[in-house]
Amino acid sequence: MELHPSFPVLSPFISKYPRSSASLFQTYNDIVYAQQWQDVEVLDLESCSRGAIKGKKRDTEEMLYVVPCSLSETLSFGWLQGAFAQIFRTRSNGEEFLAAEQDSTAGANPPFIYLAITTQDASIVYYKLSQGIVKPPV
Amino acid sequence: MSDSEARPVALRVANKTAYVWDVDDIATLRSKHRICGVLTGTLPHLSQQNVFLGVPLVLMPEEAVLLVETGAAVLVDDPKAYLEPTIPQLQKWSAEQQESIRTQLAYTETKLAKESASPGRALSEEALRKRKEREERKKAQAALAAKAAGDEGLDVFAQEASSSSSPAPTPNEAERTSTPSVSLPSDPRPSTPSISTDPSKSSSSLPPYTIVIPASATSHEWYSPESCTYTTIEAAREAGVWDYPSTLFERARCGVFKDLWKQGYFMGGGIKFGGEYLVYPGDPLRYHSHFAATVIESPIASLRPMEIVAHGRLGTATKKAHLLCGWDDEKKEVSYLSIEWAGFG
Repeated sequence: MELHPSFPVLSPFISKYPRSSASLFQTYNDIVYAQQWQDVEVLDLESCSRGAIKGKKRDTEEMLYVVPCSLSETLSFGWLQGAFAQIFRTRSNGEEFLAAEQDSTAGANPPFIYLAITTQDASIVYYKLSQGIVKPPV
Repeated sequence: MSDSEARPVALRVANKTAYVWDVDDIATLRSKHRICGVLTGTLPHLSQQNVFLGVPLVLMPEEAVLLVETGAAVLVDDPKAYLEPTIPQLQKWSAEQQESIRTQLAYTETKLAKESASPGRALSEEALRKRKEREERKKAQAALAAKAAGDEGLDVFAQEASSSSSPAPTPNEAERTSTPSVSLPSDPRPSTPSISTDPSKSSSSLPPYTIVIPASATSHEWYSPESCTYTTIEAAREAGVWDYPSTLFERARCGVFKDLWKQGYFMGGGIKFGGEYLVYPGDPLRYHSHFAATVIESPIASLRPMEIVAHGRLGTATKKAHLLCGWDDEKKEVSYLSIEWAGFG
């Protein structure tokens, strides 16, 4: 793991949150190398005791957020809301304020995150969780 | 909702389930209060058919709670609403029954008189006689055929089958046509008492009539729901008539149901999509549901990623989003998360 090219980026989070290190490592590698997102960074998601990933899909401008978790974890509704609260508060703090930009690309969308669910056999699935009652695409 | 002149709908409670028996009430609930319920009534003689169901309408408990809380309905402890009838009430009821029977008998008599006067009758008797002859012939042929086959066991069967399949003529016709072949007395089965057992007292005394049972028992004079009508859930709970919601999960369901309802949605049962409710943007007869909803009773209730995968994938496959409805019992608030498949990975 230490020799992997992702390790230098992830190492602070791996040592800070060892329990979620496996799913973060797997998700980060999938996002960077398989999905080929751009401008990928890792942020400290204290409310969920783990690192989260932000980045943009190839050739898009919308900043997206991915929260990794393992299939064997037990989450809760409050946990998910904590993730929303922290991600979108940090964003509106000005550090990464993209609201106007986001409106132009995706309409007045309610905030959403991707939950990356990882398993031990290295398979991974992403689900989009939107805050509020959001109609499915037609 | 606060239609002052409209009387509240009576939800008749039996065994802690709320039913609506009045068709107009069902229409009111649906059109004015956006509450659909489920029709469950079958026809007495076709209880297996489940395509066209009728009254009673069964309400989900949270539907009943919402209706009572908004003042649109009251709970009626129906089994207690039937007081013991007084003697005059019973006498009146009995007199009405007798009157109904007399009217029917009078009608039947005039009809019979008309029919016997018309000449079409003879022809039909002729036809009956011919049919009987045909059946006799068939029976004989069947017996012969069976004998020819040489199987005696089958023979017996064939005889029996053919004899039982031929319809026995009604006693009245037997009397009139006086065919000697009819062997009613030798029939080993005990005969049910009917007109034929007493030929001396012939048809004029006891033709059949219908006993009328009113579709709604509330028209009886001794039906008195006043003493067992409850306008609040608490009152009904104290009386031991109603106990929903009594647990945290039930409170969560009521809270979520009410919150979605306030936003204008219609809710139906969600069992087909693995949720608590299906959430419709309008009347379910006109719209497909957009969401399947699950109720999460508290922010710390455990939620496994596998549930998110299962709900999310099913919703995406059926063009629905899945709603996680989180109830906060302290704040009495609902918050929502919508799940969709991300479309990658």
